[in-house]
Amino acid sequence: MEHESVPLYWRNIPSYYRLAARRCRKCGEVYYPPVVKCPRCGSSELEDFQLPHEGELVEFTVLRSVPTDYMKQKPLVIGLVKLGPVKVLGQIVDAAPEKLKAGQRMEVVFRRVVVDGKYGLVMYGYKFRPRP
Amino acid sequence: MRAGIVSWGAYIPKYRIRTEDIAATWGDDPARIVDLYLVYEKSVEGYDEDAVTIATEAARRALRRGAVDPKRIGAVYSGTESKPYAVKPISSILIDALGLANNVFAVDMEFACKAASDGIVAIAGLVESGRIEYGLAVGTDTSQGEPGEHLDYSASSGGVAYVIGRDGVAAEFETIYTYNSDTPDFWRREGSPYPMHGEGFTGEPAYFRHVVGAAKGLMERHGYKVSDFAYAVFHQPNGRFPMRAASMLGFPPDKVKPGIVVTHIGNTYNASALMGLARVLEQAKPGDKILLVTFGSGAGSNAFVLNVTDAVLERQKADVPKVDEMIADKIYIDYAMYLKNRKMVKLFE
Amino acid sequence: MTDVWINGTAMVQTGRHYNLNMDEMAARVLDEALKDAGYPELDALFVASATAEQADRQQMLGTYIAARLGLDKVATYRVENADGSGGSALMAAAMAVRSGVYGCVAVVGVDKPNDVLSNQQQDIYSTATDSVYERYFGVTPVAQAALMAKMYLSKYEYKYEDLALWPVLMHKYGASNPYAYIRKQAKIEDVLDSELVSDPLRLYDVGPMADGAAAAILCGRKGVAKVLGMWSSANAVPFNARQDYDVLYSAREAAERAYRMAGITPRDVATAEVHDSYSILGVLAAEALGLAPRGGLLASLRGGSEVRANLSGGLKSRGNVMGATGVYQAVEVVWQLVGRGPFKRVDGSIGVIHSMGGVDATSTVVVLGL
Repeated sequence: MEHESVPLYWRNIPSYYRLAARRCRKCGEVYYPPVVKCPRCGSSELEDFQLPHEGELVEFTVLRSVPTDYMKQKPLVIGLVKLGPVKVLGQIVDAAPEKLKAGQRMEVVFRRVVVDGKYGLVMYGYKFRPRP
Repeated sequence: MRAGIVSWGAYIPKYRIRTEDIAATWGDDPARIVDLYLVYEKSVEGYDEDAVTIATEAARRALRRGAVDPKRIGAVYSGTESKPYAVKPISSILIDALGLANNVFAVDMEFACKAASDGIVAIAGLVESGRIEYGLAVGTDTSQGEPGEHLDYSASSGGVAYVIGRDGVAAEFETIYTYNSDTPDFWRREGSPYPMHGEGFTGEPAYFRHVVGAAKGLMERHGYKVSDFAYAVFHQPNGRFPMRAASMLGFPPDKVKPGIVVTHIGNTYNASALMGLARVLEQAKPGDKILLVTFGSGAGSNAFVLNVTDAVLERQKADVPKVDEMIADKIYIDYAMYLKNRKMVKLFE
Repeated sequence: MTDVWINGTAMVQTGRHYNLNMDEMAARVLDEALKDAGYPELDALFVASATAEQADRQQMLGTYIAARLGLDKVATYRVENADGSGGSALMAAAMAVRSGVYGCVAVVGVDKPNDVLSNQQQDIYSTATDSVYERYFGVTPVAQAALMAKMYLSKYEYKYEDLALWPVLMHKYGASNPYAYIRKQAKIEDVLDSELVSDPLRLYDVGPMADGAAAAILCGRKGVAKVLGMWSSANAVPFNARQDYDVLYSAREAAERAYRMAGITPRDVATAEVHDSYSILGVLAAEALGLAPRGGLLASLRGGSEVRANLSGGLKSRGNVMGATGVYQAVEVVWQLVGRGPFKRVDGSIGVIHSMGGVDATSTVVVLGL
């Protein structure tokens, strides 16, 4: 029985559940996804940085040609959302695309992302929705 | 010093289905159903929501409302009867989703709808014994009823979380009481998708015996009168049962109505009475006494007397969604979307 | 260092090749290219493929292609950079000859996305995005391209009708290319009416997945066209972290450095095959190659000019043959430079290929000349 890698999901929980980014202790630049060395100043001294769970919508698209895991959830609204110092790509939920506008306030929500079939793990992660 | 509620947070999914749309599909008379249960519409989870995601949102809001440092939480107890897993804790997921420390008691509890309040009892004990500073009790559910069966008019989705401690208490646990017996009014066998229930048997021998039994037992043992209480909040399987329980105990309707949420979101099971309590806390005044009586099929009730303190005012001002705001924040869906959202459409696996 | 010449080329019509295995399909086109080159002794085989593992469950594709032709003892290399595998393999092959280690090598591009269903094609293509931070959440290359399209159209105050001019032009070119998958002309109404894929991108903005195989033989001895310059560049900034979304950073860098190596400017480019996996990316690639000013390509198309890019019809008409694309581009540019059918000889002696992996994750630009 083929199933998704559990370690692959598990080790990314800090990102998936909490949007844990990395910040360079030397120059202050924040990176998401996390980096190993600061691309700006080259320092290896990076610390955990919690991204805010609110931000603003930069741009979005309504994706109709979806991968297998999402066939029963199409269309997906894929958005680029600014959270504090970085932008993050992800799904926008609970929103009619006609009502979405670049610049509007968004909040991070915790949702199911992928369910590994009938017997596998339920995998969670962040998505975005308009802030009321 | 007694433990009490330091903060609370609730989450209600946005989607709603009206009783009349369910009735139209299954050939019921909607007017009769509404009259029976006083449930006009109920909350429905999104396709990508479940008891875990709902618990997480409620818990995040509880932490935010009380500005509680997640690292000071010493226990997380989850009560649910709609876990995505038969075996796998959801309390552990909350540890990572909320950024709690690892040195945290993490427990999943089951006692039908009463489990979350059992978590409250356990955490109150841990706090009062000095073993932990704060604890998080969460009630969450996306319970289902068999399609076409009456339970499906009320079975809905929602979650409430309470941060319990001794410091910064907004509502103190003055008294806790419980009443349990082996009364099989409603159950779900391992592997079964929907519960069985005893129709009328769920009333007198189950809900009323235990709710009233717990409330009466508490009031008699500790010498309370109805007039002591500003509010009485009961478990709400529908809009009729809590009002009848209130009347059996002598509580006037206007003390009970503020805690009634079921009419427009349905029965959120483990979050049911707790959601009513959250709504009451959002309007209560310092000095108010609240009677909270939960109920879980099988059966049992926990009864709590809560003393509202000055700290509640600070919590009421917090920039966190309130129960009434969530009840009003809704999107109606039709029955087909209902089945899809609740994953009740048969697909290839 | 040795000069690198393309000595032989071959390609098959793209489309649906349900009856052929990847290795056989590749072997046949390789043989054709070898024949075109006069059957030189082959030292190495560089295989470009984006889907070999995920669609046809084959690693080390090169060894199996070699087996089908009895090319015993040949060195085989598998080069993968998603749909930019072709350009990367081409450059790897060219570097191998230039170093003098090998006398003659083949670069073969082969992919058969039509061996799997369309949702599976998106699954495979989305492994070109960040698997943990993008693919997991349902992000696919077309969604990323769509975001860029939205921001580009907004920034330069274009309407979607302006972007639609690209597929119309691609179909015009592709209609005269019998090797292309889609050979019918497209009117602008066809584009505007086509179904949305990821707004604003519609069906006609998307290169349809297609099976294909192409091969080129590179040798140190004189051949048909010479490699004048080449460069490969990654855009190491993740999509979400990019500053500007109206530029292909990897293409711009690769083009700049490849042109410098070749000692040319964009004006010298007589023909270019660019990676228009999606119409917007084709537009941005043409601008990155200096064929139009930044933000200006659609205005010039609107004004009636035709850009001298993608005479094959590009990924729009050829289809998206994924990793094989870069090799097709090389074959086509050579044929356009020499005037080999179906292509008429272009006015000039310099041609450029732009091969890209993902949405501006990595680009290879190769400059060929007579």
